[in-house]
Amino acid sequence: MNSRLRKNSEGKNEKVHRPSRATRLFVVWRKLKKSKLAIAGFGIVLFMSMVALLSPVISPYSLDWIGSSRMPPSMENIFGTDNLGRDMLTLVMYGARISVYVGIATVLVEIAIGLSIGMVAGYFGGIIDEILMRIADVVFTLPMLMMVLLAISMFEVRSINTIILVMAVLEWPFMSRVVRSEYLSLREATYVEAARSMGASNLRIIVRHILPNILSVMIVLATMDIPWFILLEATITFLGFGDPMSSSWGVLLERGFPHMSTSWWIITFPGLALLITSLGFNLLGDGLRDALDIKVRE
Amino acid sequence: MPMRDYVIRRLLIIIPTFFLITLIIFTLIHFAPGDPTDAMVGKGGKLPPELREQIRVEYGLNQPLPVQYLIWLNKLLHGDLGYSYITSGSVLNMIAVRIQLTVELQLMAESLSILIAVVLGVIAAVKHHSIYDASCSVAALVGYSTPDFWLALILLLVFSFWLKWFPSSSSITPGLTFSTPFHALFDHFKHMLLPTLALVAVWTAYLFRLVRSAMLEVLTQDYITTARSKGLKERVVIYKHALRNALLPVVTYVGYSIGLLFTGAAVIEEIFALPGLGQLMVERSQGRDYPALMGISIAIAIMVLIANLCADIAYAVVDPRIRYD
Repeated sequence: MNSRLRKNSEGKNEKVHRPSRATRLFVVWRKLKKSKLAIAGFGIVLFMSMVALLSPVISPYSLDWIGSSRMPPSMENIFGTDNLGRDMLTLVMYGARISVYVGIATVLVEIAIGLSIGMVAGYFGGIIDEILMRIADVVFTLPMLMMVLLAISMFEVRSINTIILVMAVLEWPFMSRVVRSEYLSLREATYVEAARSMGASNLRIIVRHILPNILSVMIVLATMDIPWFILLEATITFLGFGDPMSSSWGVLLERGFPHMSTSWWIITFPGLALLITSLGFNLLGDGLRDALDIKVRE
Repeated sequence: MPMRDYVIRRLLIIIPTFFLITLIIFTLIHFAPGDPTDAMVGKGGKLPPELREQIRVEYGLNQPLPVQYLIWLNKLLHGDLGYSYITSGSVLNMIAVRIQLTVELQLMAESLSILIAVVLGVIAAVKHHSIYDASCSVAALVGYSTPDFWLALILLLVFSFWLKWFPSSSSITPGLTFSTPFHALFDHFKHMLLPTLALVAVWTAYLFRLVRSAMLEVLTQDYITTARSKGLKERVVIYKHALRNALLPVVTYVGYSIGLLFTGAAVIEEIFALPGLGQLMVERSQGRDYPALMGISIAIAIMVLIANLCADIAYAVVDPRIRYD
C-alpha cells in the first residue's frame, strides 16, 4: 500500500502518496547493493553475527576440550591450541559472542544517553542547552583510557557490563552533539510549527515528529560506533582490566601475549577476528552513509 | 565579536572546565571501594589498627571529603601533586620523568602520520575514482579497522622475534655505554621505530579518510571553479586554494585527538615496555596509588585542555568564516 487516506481541507477523503516503511527500506537496500564494499561489509557482519549466535553448535570442540598445549595449526586444530591446550578456533568463535554483544550493547546505552541529552538540548535550547553542552565538553575532555581504567579499577567486580557502561557513559557527547544540531535545525521546520500550532505537546513533537526524521542519522552513527567500541573493549581487556571469566578477543590476546614468541598463532587469530569484524561494520557504515546520503563527520 | 574577545572568552571557559575535571577525578577516585592503607601495606600484609589510624591522620585521610578535596586542590594549584603511596616519591617528579617518552612517541607518530596522510589524501582526492584512489581508500579502511595494539604485537613478532632486526622492549639498551651521543641516539631510535610504526599505520589511515573527504568537498566548490576559469595552473588551484580549506578538519582533529592518541600510546608503551606515562598509569591503577593516579589524570587532562584550546584558536585564525558566538 503506497497511499493513505487523509481528510483534505474540504473534509473529503483524499489519497496521499506516502511510501510505506517497507518501500523506504527497499530503496535504501537498492542503493546499498550498488556498492560492492558495502555488500562485503554486510556479509561480514552477518557472518560474524551467525558465528556469535551459533558458536555452541558450529564450534569444532566444546569449551572444556583440552588437547596438547601450544600445538601449531593443523587439521585437528585449524587455529592451533593455546598454552592450556584449548582449541583456538573454538575460543575465537566463542569470543565473537562477547565482542559482538559488547559492540551492540554499548551503542544501545550510548544512544539512550546521547539521544535524550541531545534532544533536550537541541529542542529547548537556551540555558538548558548551554549547561548540557558544557557537561558534554567536560566529558569529551576526559581521556578515555584514563577514565575507563580508573572506573574499572574502582568497581571490584570486573564484569563485561561494567566496561560497557563506562564506555557508553564516556562516549555519548559526540552522539549528543550530532542529535542536538539536528534538533536545533528541525525545530524550526514548518511541519514542526504546524504540529505546534495544532497543540501538540513538546514531548509529542520531540518523539513523534522530529525523531523519525533523524533515524537514518542514528543508524549510520550507531553502525560506525560499533567497531570503535569492539576495538576499545579489546584494548581495555588487553591491558588486564577485563573480565577474566569471559574470553573476549581482547582477553585471548592478553593471555596469548606472554607466549607469542613461541606460538604465533595464539595472538594472530583473535586479532584477525577483531580486524575483520571491525572492517565489516566500517564498510557497512560507509555504505549506509552513502546510501542514506548523510554527512557525518568522521 | 572580534577575534581577541573570542580568544579571551575561550580562555575563560577553561577555568570552570578545569575545576569540574578536578572534581570528577577526585570524586571517582575517592568513591572507590577499598582503603588506600591496604595498598600501602601491600597484598597479605597485616597492620595494627592504631598504626593504620596514624597513617590515615598523616595523609589527611580522616578529614571529611570536601575538606580533602580543597586541601588537594590547593596543593595542586601550587604545583604539589603529593607523594606516591607505593614508592613515597614525589608524583610531580615521577610524571616529569615519564612524560618525555610519551610526548616524544606522540609527536613523532602524529607528525609522521599527518605528513603521509595529507600527501596521499590530496592525491587520492585529485585522482578521484582512479585505481589509486580506490586502493588507497580500501587500504585506509583496513588500517582504520586494525586494532593498533594487535598491529604492534604482529610487528613485534615479525621484526623483533623472527627477524631480530629490532629490540623488543624498553627505550634504550640497558647496561650499554655508548662511545658517542650519536650511537646512543641511534640505539634509542631503533627502540622507538616499531612502536611509532604501529601508531602511524592506524592514525594515517584515519587522517587519510579525513583529508580525502574534506578535499573532495572543497574541490566541488564555486571558488575552485573560479580559480580554474581564471586560468590558474592546476597545481596552484589545488595547493594554494583548495588544500588550505581542506586542512581545517585536520587542524581540529589534531587538537581534539590528544586524549585519543594517549589511549593508543598507553597500550603501545605497555607492549614495548616503554617507560612512559601510559605505562605508569596502568601500573599504578592496579596498585591503587591514589596520589599518582590523580596526578597523572590531571596531567593528561591539562594536556588535552591545552590542545583543544590551541585547536579552537588555530581554527579561528585559519578560517575567517567562523562566527564567534
